[in-house]
Amino acid sequence: MNEIIEKLTTCIEFGKINQKSPFPPSMRGEVGADELTRQALEAGIKPVEILEQGLIPGMNAVGLKFSQGKVFVPEMLMAAKAMSMALVHLKPYFMSGEVKRKGTFIIGTVFGDLHDIGKNLVAMTVEGAGWEVIDLGVDVKTESFLDTLEKYPNCAVGISALLTTTMGNMESVVKLVKEKYPLTKVLVGGAPLNTEFSNKIGADFYSRDPQGAVAYLNNLQNC
Amino acid sequence: MTEWKNSILAHPEKIAVPVMTYPGLQLIGKSVMDMVTIGEVQYHCVKALSAKYPAIGATTLIMDLSVEAEAFGSLINFSENEIPTVSKRLIDSFEQVVNLKIPAIGDGRTKSHLTAARLAADNNTALQVFGGIIGPYSLAGRLYDITEMMTAILIEPEGAHDLLNICTSFLKEYALAFKKAGCNGIVIAEPAAGLLADYQCEEFSSRYVKQIVDFVQDDNFMVVLHNCGNTVSLVESMLGTGAAGFHFGNAVDMCEILPQVPSNRLVFGNLDPAGVIKNGSPEIIKVKTKELLTRTSQYNNFVISSGCDIPPGTKIENIDAFFEAIAEYNKG
Repeated sequence: MNEIIEKLTTCIEFGKINQKSPFPPSMRGEVGADELTRQALEAGIKPVEILEQGLIPGMNAVGLKFSQGKVFVPEMLMAAKAMSMALVHLKPYFMSGEVKRKGTFIIGTVFGDLHDIGKNLVAMTVEGAGWEVIDLGVDVKTESFLDTLEKYPNCAVGISALLTTTMGNMESVVKLVKEKYPLTKVLVGGAPLNTEFSNKIGADFYSRDPQGAVAYLNNLQNC
Repeated sequence: MTEWKNSILAHPEKIAVPVMTYPGLQLIGKSVMDMVTIGEVQYHCVKALSAKYPAIGATTLIMDLSVEAEAFGSLINFSENEIPTVSKRLIDSFEQVVNLKIPAIGDGRTKSHLTAARLAADNNTALQVFGGIIGPYSLAGRLYDITEMMTAILIEPEGAHDLLNICTSFLKEYALAFKKAGCNGIVIAEPAAGLLADYQCEEFSSRYVKQIVDFVQDDNFMVVLHNCGNTVSLVESMLGTGAAGFHFGNAVDMCEILPQVPSNRLVFGNLDPAGVIKNGSPEIIKVKTKELLTRTSQYNNFVISSGCDIPPGTKIENIDAFFEAIAEYNKG
């Protein structure tokens, strides 16, 4: 495999954003995902190869370590930041259609809830897995999910909640989304949730970690 | 407090210390907004609960994780029946830490919470009363943004420590204010630390929690450290804080926690407050409560509790079921 691509995978896995970033200490002073993505494009490597052979394997590697409890939220977020930096360079190729996304994923924290760390982790990891992510932010009203679905009717939807007081708000969102878009897959997540709750409110899937959401989405064929 | 702890360790019957204030709202006909803003309402809630449930082992005051950030100047999102939350980060660079003013005790709603503590301690002398404060890392996350605080410990650790020092300076005084108000202890809620690796938890949370413990804990005042994350690998770091008690959320199996804790320190946990206590039926609650007590029966230092604050809107019949299950378990 191309040396630049290999290094890029390493940078994503270990959260090396750019040359300036002091993290990880073992790679201090070295170029990061920012510079390497640019170098790869300049070297004529196809954007789709950069994404599929460089970036996504890096996110998969760190995601697996996260699921296994070998790295934690800070490292996962650094990897996601490195991924986001690399994707900035690929954006024109997504816009032109040269690189295809796996699908589109709308995500937001349910109305009444202002917490975003879980939502951010999932959004960044799903994006890193090759999906277009539309992040609606926190305290997202049902109408906002529906309006976005109108523009992207075949998307999957992710709803997050951290509070026991706001998780109940998910039920009405799921209900209205399913009423208007019965084929839309709805994923839910958040610290107080479980599969039983997800089933009860009519969601399609509960994911306890970002990798679970990625695995579920990757299995969807209709997005 | 040492006496209370020793009586638990020596007593074969199980007591219950659920983290429970919100269910009292139904008993006195008030809203969450009333509870989080009016100290007297909070007091009347816990008074009503302790009257209804004489088997309760201790009164815990509200676990309001926005009050300290508000005292620093953070904007808070309030609504009538939802728990207040920080709506916006207060600082967006660590250079701004020098401009942060350490709040005075009584600023913002700290006054209201201390009023509740004083009333509960003065009028509830037969029962232990625990105040509640946020942990240093969780407070820093509210001031700086929790996602940013997570990566800051990797890329700007010195700045993170500067902020943690400011947070800890305030929390020490706030904890002391609960002690002066007559409480028998405090619960320090440090949920954000549950997202860290053990060595990160040690450096960015436990080290600072220890300063609070050293400042206020003595034979008459107990510190209980609450962490509702996946804490199985964090127990050693939590123990290093010196806290006399530890409270765990339902993300962990207590049977993986208890063997790690010395038998002279209390361990509280961990029925799922939302999935079981709020959303479960009374029958399920009874089964889960007895199951947890049975699985932990060999540990005299285990005190059954909810894994976190029991949410507003939890039916009283569900709380009844929790206490009935404990009574039935104790009868054998």
